[in-house]
Amino acid sequence: MLGAYLPILVLVVIACLFGLGSVVFSSLIGQKKPSQVKLAPYECGCEPVGSARERFSIKFYLIAMLFILFDIEAVFMYPWAVLFKRLGMFGLVEMGLFIVILFVGYVYVWKKGALEWE
Amino acid sequence: MLAIENYLIVSAILFAIGTIGVLTKRNAIVIFMCIEMMLNAVNLTFIAFSRHLGNIDGQVFVFFVMTVAAAEAAVGLALMIAFFKNRESIDVEDVNLLKL
Amino acid sequence: MESIFFLVVAAVAVISSILVVTCKNPINSALSLVMTFFCLATFYVMLDAPFMAATQVIVYAGAIMVLIIFVIMLLNVRVETVKRGTHAVIAGSAIGLFILFQTVWFLMKGSMTGKVGDMTKEQIVSVGHVELIGKALFTDFLLPFEVTSVLLLAAIVGAVILAKKKI
Repeated sequence: MLGAYLPILVLVVIACLFGLGSVVFSSLIGQKKPSQVKLAPYECGCEPVGSARERFSIKFYLIAMLFILFDIEAVFMYPWAVLFKRLGMFGLVEMGLFIVILFVGYVYVWKKGALEWE
Repeated sequence: MLAIENYLIVSAILFAIGTIGVLTKRNAIVIFMCIEMMLNAVNLTFIAFSRHLGNIDGQVFVFFVMTVAAAEAAVGLALMIAFFKNRESIDVEDVNLLKL
Repeated sequence: MESIFFLVVAAVAVISSILVVTCKNPINSALSLVMTFFCLATFYVMLDAPFMAATQVIVYAGAIMVLIIFVIMLLNVRVETVKRGTHAVIAGSAIGLFILFQTVWFLMKGSMTGKVGDMTKEQIVSVGHVELIGKALFTDFLLPFEVTSVLLLAAIVGAVILAKKKI
């Protein structure tokens, strides 16, 4: 059974080696002629404006927060989807109740304007 | 499958490190992350015992723990943001007033 | 072979969790925590719980850590400058090590007993892990499952109210 996960392990190992390899080899064999302009942070070829460590807007947090809660809802749907035929009507009503309660939350969020990107 | 004791010892180590983090750090977000780590250590224990005792209930519990962790993350981080708006800090030592 | 793999993953998990506590920059702590979560997902796979591993990656590494990193960037928290007093660090570490010692002592002293259920490896392979969890979730744990939706509703409302206030 664990043998089925071998491709994932190989993928992880290759990803790690690639990440490490590109850093190590570029520092080993790359040319180093640093100048003021080369060391500046790259910003689409323009002159960098301000610091990169600026404060992000709260709007991102609201979206991420809603994502996390509806993500959980989606996770609960996986076992239901797998068992859908066997649970039949009973499972549908159960999941319907679950989704209706979360839909109330969704309507609340919508009415509150948390989905607006003003 | 390896003996269950191996998993339990790893879980105990993670839980202890999480406890140390909660008790020694001052940044509220790092404390929050340490709490998540403690929850995960408990989840590992749940799943190890579930496999060892041949009972699926422990894994359903992990499901609920994850749900609570997600709800906690949403509300807890919102509280931190609200606190930061008032005090410009998320140091837990600054959480010493009921009203500003 | 399996025990060597276990030792490697356990070492990575413990080292990255130590980094969570020792790193000064919260972003580094968050990334180390993601590493710990992935190691735990590996353990879940080794414990024949592949669906829990997937959930771990989706929920913890994918959603909760994204939220935490967003908040770190949102608040733009500086590197921790003021340390806790040494006595607090010593006391906290002592309590943590005491908990570790206690658990390991109990593990060494006792043996694992308990009523053994009917979930075997053959059953997991033939029925399927997701089916087993789904059956338990939608029959034995029906009420907790429905109450979960109320919890999520409360979390949505609470978080929106707290975050929507004007800065």
